[in-house]
Amino acid sequence: MFKNYLRTAWGHIFKNRLFTAINVFGLAIGLMSCILIMLFVRDELSYDTFIPGADRVVRLHSAFYQPDRPPFLTVRSAGRMKDAIVSYASGEVEAGVRLFVNTTTVIRDGEAFNENIIFADASFFDVLALPFAHGSVETSFRNYGDLLITEETAFKHFGRTDVVGQSITTCCLGPDPTSFKITGVLQDLPQASHMQLDMLVVMDPAWFAPFPNILDTWNSVNVYTYFKLKEGATASDLKERIYTWLDTESIFTENEQLASVGMKPTEIIKPNVMPLADIHLKARDEAGTMGDIGPMGDYNTVVTFIIVAALILIIASINFMNLSTAKASNRAREVALRKVMGATRKQVAWQFLGEAIAIAFVALMFALVGVELFLPVYNEAIGKELVLDLFGDLPILLFLMIGAVATGVISGSYPALYLSRFLPARVLKANRSSDGAGQVGFRSALVVFQFAISIGLVICTAVVYGQTVYAKSLDLGYSHSGKIALTSLESAQTPEKAETIRQALEQLPGVENVVVSSEVPSQDNENNTGFSLIGAEDTMATNQQVVLNYHTLGFGFLEAYGIEPLAGRTFDKSYGTDVIQDIPDEEDRIGTASVILNQSAVRSFGFSSPEDAIGKMLRANVFRSGQHDLTIVGVVPDVYFRSVKFGVRATAYWVRPRSFDVATITYNTNDIPGLIEGMEAVWREQMPLSPIAYEFVSEMLAAQYEQENRQAELFAAFSALAIVVACLGLFGLASFTAEQRTKEIGIRKVLGATIRDIVQLLVWQFSRPVLIANLIAWPTAWYFMSDWLDGFSYSLGDSYIFAAAAIAGSFALLIAWVTVAGRAYRVAQTNPISALRYE
Amino acid sequence: MLKLHNLSKVYRTDEVETVALDNVNIEIESGEFVAIMGPSGCGKSTLLNIIGMLDSPSDGDYVFMDENVAGYPESKLSNIRKQNIGFIFQSFNLIDELTVEENIELALLYHNIPASERRERVARVMDKVGIAHRAKHMPSQLSGGQQQRVAVARAVVGDQAMILADEPTGNLDSAHGQEVMEMLQSLNNEGTTIVMVTHSPSHADYARRTINLFDGHVVTENLRAAG
Repeated sequence: MFKNYLRTAWGHIFKNRLFTAINVFGLAIGLMSCILIMLFVRDELSYDTFIPGADRVVRLHSAFYQPDRPPFLTVRSAGRMKDAIVSYASGEVEAGVRLFVNTTTVIRDGEAFNENIIFADASFFDVLALPFAHGSVETSFRNYGDLLITEETAFKHFGRTDVVGQSITTCCLGPDPTSFKITGVLQDLPQASHMQLDMLVVMDPAWFAPFPNILDTWNSVNVYTYFKLKEGATASDLKERIYTWLDTESIFTENEQLASVGMKPTEIIKPNVMPLADIHLKARDEAGTMGDIGPMGDYNTVVTFIIVAALILIIASINFMNLSTAKASNRAREVALRKVMGATRKQVAWQFLGEAIAIAFVALMFALVGVELFLPVYNEAIGKELVLDLFGDLPILLFLMIGAVATGVISGSYPALYLSRFLPARVLKANRSSDGAGQVGFRSALVVFQFAISIGLVICTAVVYGQTVYAKSLDLGYSHSGKIALTSLESAQTPEKAETIRQALEQLPGVENVVVSSEVPSQDNENNTGFSLIGAEDTMATNQQVVLNYHTLGFGFLEAYGIEPLAGRTFDKSYGTDVIQDIPDEEDRIGTASVILNQSAVRSFGFSSPEDAIGKMLRANVFRSGQHDLTIVGVVPDVYFRSVKFGVRATAYWVRPRSFDVATITYNTNDIPGLIEGMEAVWREQMPLSPIAYEFVSEMLAAQYEQENRQAELFAAFSALAIVVACLGLFGLASFTAEQRTKEIGIRKVLGATIRDIVQLLVWQFSRPVLIANLIAWPTAWYFMSDWLDGFSYSLGDSYIFAAAAIAGSFALLIAWVTVAGRAYRVAQTNPISALRYE
Repeated sequence: MLKLHNLSKVYRTDEVETVALDNVNIEIESGEFVAIMGPSGCGKSTLLNIIGMLDSPSDGDYVFMDENVAGYPESKLSNIRKQNIGFIFQSFNLIDELTVEENIELALLYHNIPASERRERVARVMDKVGIAHRAKHMPSQLSGGQQQRVAVARAVVGDQAMILADEPTGNLDSAHGQEVMEMLQSLNNEGTTIVMVTHSPSHADYARRTINLFDGHVVTENLRAAG
């Protein structure tokens, strides 16, 4: 029986080579896309699951919703929360740990290396049971200062991994280098972890005494807090418990500010408890602008990719359905005969379903070859190291098997039902299938559906791509070429040292100037503070505090970046009044200095014009420098100082030497290697114990779009595949129709139709579904992309969507024409007599 | 063998109602050789299809081997059909992708017969119709007469009690037509009931009884003395 099925199937496959090729190739592309995307999705979903007991680990996120201010979200939490929650929620929580994540400098043989270090409570392994390579929790992580390093770090510094008992010198939590003894070695974390760690040390709270904002605080959010839940407790149980605590027994119930407005703590403080496995993909929504420990995944990207994979497979399946039912007349006789011989409809249906599944498996083989071929490129594009290990990976193998069967069933079930329905009496007499108008209509509907998907994908791709290009070409409002940012200036520690380095760099040949600042454009630090206008009752301006983003700039910064004031002046040393000086805590006085606002800030205060703001005075509490009255000396345009993703915020610029963490070197030489050599020499001389770190500012800016760029490219690649598959189907269907209408075409030609008339006839027949597809695709794409663009502060605008839609639609039509016209021409050319005699 | 009682078949399209068979009463005994004749469109093929259970009557009874099958569902009909009835068509209706042997075997595939027995029976029937030397050939490599012999073999390989032949000689030249008719006759002599639709009076002469249809009615029934 099986052999018989196989023989007939093979006969048809061979006789209809073109259609088989289209089916197999289309399904192969669909399956290949699915496999590639599935590998990506699986990796994204596997984050942190390697940690034993991961399903019971959660992290405390913080969110502050203060009236009249944008919400402040972060995945960090305040240092005193952990102990309070562990003791209050003892029914839900088994253990808790705080992580303070930092970078440190390891000094070895007089050379300095940057490493990621996590300062943690000794309870770390009660919550996050990372696997050891050498040592154990009992012997290695009990006392303050016990240090674990990863195998990779061990290898880097010692050339081997068994380094328990060795010492490592780091610099500098305090003023001096500290020596730690390595008590254990951790296995390297897999790439699929939200944590990034080279070193892990049991922290002594005493180390942080000079920095009360880290551990000993209810308000400052600088640590990551994880809890291990008790068996049976859920994240939402714990969340509920924390909210109860906040409103009844926490320190926040005594908060005067809250009491004055009559609000409960949880109306303002709304922490969340997120399961460990969700962190990679879902923390982004709760991370605010400060981000997470490592790079964050994006749930939406994962969902989008799954949808795209499904769409491509659907298009390929539709090809299969369309071509199989179109070619059904060829098999009608076989079906009828089998039924006459006693086959039931079920048996016939199973036969065709089996054929479809077999073809899907053949397609799977081709798809696997494709995956092997494209995996390296794909890995580069998504920045992962995915592998397809067919035989060592049972779930994958099962997934592929099930996937192929499912594809076969989806593509084959309609043809199977359709073909098995043939009535033998009619088929055998007339010797042709009963291909009624309904069938043709159904096929057209499927073609419409396919093209609607393809056109929709192309529109979306064009918008995503356009937006990326637009963002890159955006006038940021300053010049960023010919600049190097020396980001390691931070380690200079004192303003004097920073100034010495700045001056030394300025002496290098080819250097135009060197300016310092707290960050350079694209560095995304969140610095906010409240400013209030002094003497506001005399003006129209508000007396309330206005929260502004602030940046610290050195003299000459605005000039170096080509930012010209709209009113007033830039910072100028010669005035002698611009700089913020630290006011010691014991002195109860208010300092004075200058401030420059951007246009948005000018609007926030309600000034009528930039000129109107000049000379006005703002009072602000400058972090660690005390209260200051700041005279507005200048107004500059809104430039994209921070990452363009966040757009322009109302911003104040001031001069505060203790925050000079980065130097911008503007050069006018082509000898970049020479320049860098000079910079490194200066650095080695001035900062022998710290590694140098520098980047070209343009590259830092470009890096911001890296993720979007990759996404746009991948999206484009998959959309192109979808179009290819859809066109394959159209080509097949056009070929079939041309073949089927041979007699009609013959008669038309006998009656005087030209080849052109015939081609037009067929082309129009296939243009209609594509035109209708446009009508469906345009509004759908507009609906989604308009929403997507709204998420950008610098969006292309909706009109672009329509331009993209018009182009995508015409493009699809053009492809459809080219596909069909060639086929139609061939048929139209044949001699009508041969066509007619054939019947 | 079978009995049609007041049997009618009406085809309905949106506006037109076509009566293909009108109150037909026919009885066919086991072992008979019946020819059905009549002009085009008189309902011959409809009648044959109903007898073969490929179509169902609109009204009336169809008693097949003491069972009224008129209202039976397709699955039940299919089962009765494969046990008892073999078909021969004007256009042979062989499957192009299968060899002669495999085409014949097709009739046994849905009978739950082990492969070894199938092979045996196919070989036997091929001998009988004289096509054994072509066992591995494809239908396209055979002449029309040879193809129809394969079709006959396929119709009898399951030991069916009745063969329905719809103009079995219609696509054949007279020599080959003769050959096929002789084959049918010898099958009939062995006890197989044969119902055949034909346009050819000379081929109808092979039958013991001829039923003439006109406009959906049985107009005459001629008996021929057994000879």
